[in-house]
Amino acid sequence: MLRFLAKRLGEGALTLAALVTATFFFMRLAPGGPFAKNRKISPEVLAHIKAAFHLDEPVYAQFGRYVWRLAQGDFGPSTRFRDYSVGDIIAAGLPYSLTIGFWAIVVASAAGVALGIAGALQRNTATDYLAGTIGVVGIAVPIFVIGPLAQVIFALHLKWLPVGGADQGWRSLILPVIVLSLPNIAYISRLTRSSMIEVMRENYIRTARSKGIGARRILLTHTLKGAMLPVVAYLGPATAGIITGSILIETIFAVPGIGRHFVDAALNRDYPLVMGITLLYGALLILFNIATDLLRGWLDPKVREHG
Amino acid sequence: MARIHGLLAGLLAGLVALTLGFAAPVWADDTLDRGIGSEWSSLDPQVNFDAAAGWIQMDAYEGLVSFDGTGKIIPGAADKWDSSPDGLTVSFHLRDGLKWSNGDKLVAQDFVNGILRTLNPDTASEKGYYFYSVIQVKGAKALSDGSAKDPASLGVTAPDDRTVVFQLIAPSPDMLEIMGAFQVAPLHKPSFDKYGAAVFIDPAHVVSNGAYIIKEVVPQSHVLLAKNPNYWDAAHVKIPFVKYHVTEDVATELKRYQAGEIDVTYDIPLNQIEALKAKTPAEVQIAPSTEMIYYSFNLTHEAFKDINLRRALSLAIDRETLEGKIVKGENIPVLSFAGGINPDYHGPQIAEAAMRQADREALAKELYAKAGYGPGKPLKINLITTIAEDSKRRAQGVALMWKKLLGVETDVQPMERKAWLDAFYAGGWDVFGDDLVGDFAGPETYLAYMRPSADPGYKWDKPEYDAAMDVAAKLADRTARYEALAKAEKILLDDYIFAPISIAVNRHLVKATVHGWAASAAGYNNTQFLTLD
Repeated sequence: MLRFLAKRLGEGALTLAALVTATFFFMRLAPGGPFAKNRKISPEVLAHIKAAFHLDEPVYAQFGRYVWRLAQGDFGPSTRFRDYSVGDIIAAGLPYSLTIGFWAIVVASAAGVALGIAGALQRNTATDYLAGTIGVVGIAVPIFVIGPLAQVIFALHLKWLPVGGADQGWRSLILPVIVLSLPNIAYISRLTRSSMIEVMRENYIRTARSKGIGARRILLTHTLKGAMLPVVAYLGPATAGIITGSILIETIFAVPGIGRHFVDAALNRDYPLVMGITLLYGALLILFNIATDLLRGWLDPKVREHG
Repeated sequence: MARIHGLLAGLLAGLVALTLGFAAPVWADDTLDRGIGSEWSSLDPQVNFDAAAGWIQMDAYEGLVSFDGTGKIIPGAADKWDSSPDGLTVSFHLRDGLKWSNGDKLVAQDFVNGILRTLNPDTASEKGYYFYSVIQVKGAKALSDGSAKDPASLGVTAPDDRTVVFQLIAPSPDMLEIMGAFQVAPLHKPSFDKYGAAVFIDPAHVVSNGAYIIKEVVPQSHVLLAKNPNYWDAAHVKIPFVKYHVTEDVATELKRYQAGEIDVTYDIPLNQIEALKAKTPAEVQIAPSTEMIYYSFNLTHEAFKDINLRRALSLAIDRETLEGKIVKGENIPVLSFAGGINPDYHGPQIAEAAMRQADREALAKELYAKAGYGPGKPLKINLITTIAEDSKRRAQGVALMWKKLLGVETDVQPMERKAWLDAFYAGGWDVFGDDLVGDFAGPETYLAYMRPSADPGYKWDKPEYDAAMDVAAKLADRTARYEALAKAEKILLDDYIFAPISIAVNRHLVKATVHGWAASAAGYNNTQFLTLD
């Protein structure tokens, strides 16, 4: 297990190094620079501003400087948000993104698994169709439609919740969490349903049943554990996706997370911020994938032996 | 495994704590909630160059002069000022008993220090050009490009604690327009020396001199300011708190406004303006800004060296239809470049301004043929613009008008903003969807920018224009100066190096409970002049 972990972490570090290098150089290919926003600045002054951010050096030297700083845990200064370093911006925004992402995964897993089990146990009944419909809607209707719709219904008409922002405590969380979890509820319920149905046909379940073990116990200890495998495999990347992919959610609900920096930083050519966030997302994705593999190993002896 | 459980439990506890810590609800009616758009770039008064962050700055700091809700110049930290007859020495006299928010005495040198820091190359501020280009302060250029280091070489001095003296190279009757907090906020040196630039976002240590003090800064979320009891006019500041909310998405901002979370919006979604004007006309506040929109022709390309073609393309644009029926952002169509923003300036329009649009179009056809184009040989050009919704609509509208009237084949190329800026200098464009944001609401900021000697990148060779601007630049009297500027603008417009299109507008929704809101071209709507029911 330790050897497995070390190997995966090593691979992850290599991936991150490749990511940093590729991002750094690709970004420089985009036209325009961080300070190309005002045609009135005189060239001398622009040169001074660039020099303050070491943008006057050759690109390879800038890369060397970046990697050197990174090794010391410094992501560098943001060229757009002059009051903050990239580390500050991530530290300020990440808690918001993590909180929303965490609850979205909790809601998606709980609701998705429940709907999936209900669907599998009562195949082709009204419950199954309802779960199926929620699944189709959740997958087919995009967040940028559901989000504003939810705002109109729950904030403007019913006045139960705020439209956006983060200044009304847990009330500010409800809409973004639910909207972010919807597509995942859909995926998880479909995964759970089909995997449950498959597992219920397995020999070991039939054996258990013939031994006279109660239906509830079969479901909870035998079927569910086996049926969760594909769901868990999905959860790893999905968690990373939810935490990082909340860009739209953060924009629609005016959440001060880091998701929207991902796009804005690139548009502003804020090189250090793009690097910092890409690196963070890359690291999260790798870590969640490793965590998923560990969890699968725990759930499934077959994976443990071959992995 | 127990360790993993422990880890998970810890993680869970942490996230629950984060949830509870998602800031406590604030239900205060004594707070004015203002939208500030997608972000504020900086709260550093000497560095910030964004108009939206400028609102926070105008609340937190006070310049030598101030601006009332309509943009009119009123006394600020200085209650009077005078100028030498030649206009080259301007003295500002500070009010008696001015204080910083921490109670420290505010002195004239603090204003000098603010300007010195703006010019210092180490500050890496983009705003130095206010002092060597917009107005020409002695010694400012050398300090900003690093060729001079001695602060005493700057032509801004404090002979005593209550006098700030500017020594100019050329007279500038519009100088007061850039003597507000956005350009000349004072610097509280003790706190800056101790904490560095980080002090400006640190509510515990920031020291300011405006009607409000910064109380809370949450990046990408909001800035909260509270009334400054040490402000000289605190007795007339009616709203105790003002909170600036970041709302990147204009549609979300509108909903937050409708739900009562925001009192004044940053913008109005284009497609909602009509409906809102019908439903709540009093809350829709639309007024001209200082942003001028015009389409530049590439004078280095052979086709555009012919003035007939440039003139034809300009005349073929029906600006009223374009802005009123196609873009629908309430922009004000114009046939001039520097006019329409300051009522004191009576500048010229293009020669065909008095014609009806139908006659202009007939003339456009004639000129197009004269330039050698027609159905058999249509002009094929590209038009570079930004991906902003209104810019795209405008470009497509213009392309359509050119196509319908003249048969011009235009390839509209929307680009994201940085690429668009880069494309200008790369020079591959035929027509460039251009804009220019004035430094203040006056004609000179636009006309000075176009001077060939200032090399704005248009490759327009016109010594007469520079000469006419030189004549204007020597005049200290504002009326005489504006008359001279109008003569220069005539030279500019007569060459049709661009097609003026429209003046962009500031669009806000303002709740009926907010009083005192007025139209201000430069966007000055300081909270201190507003009241809240």
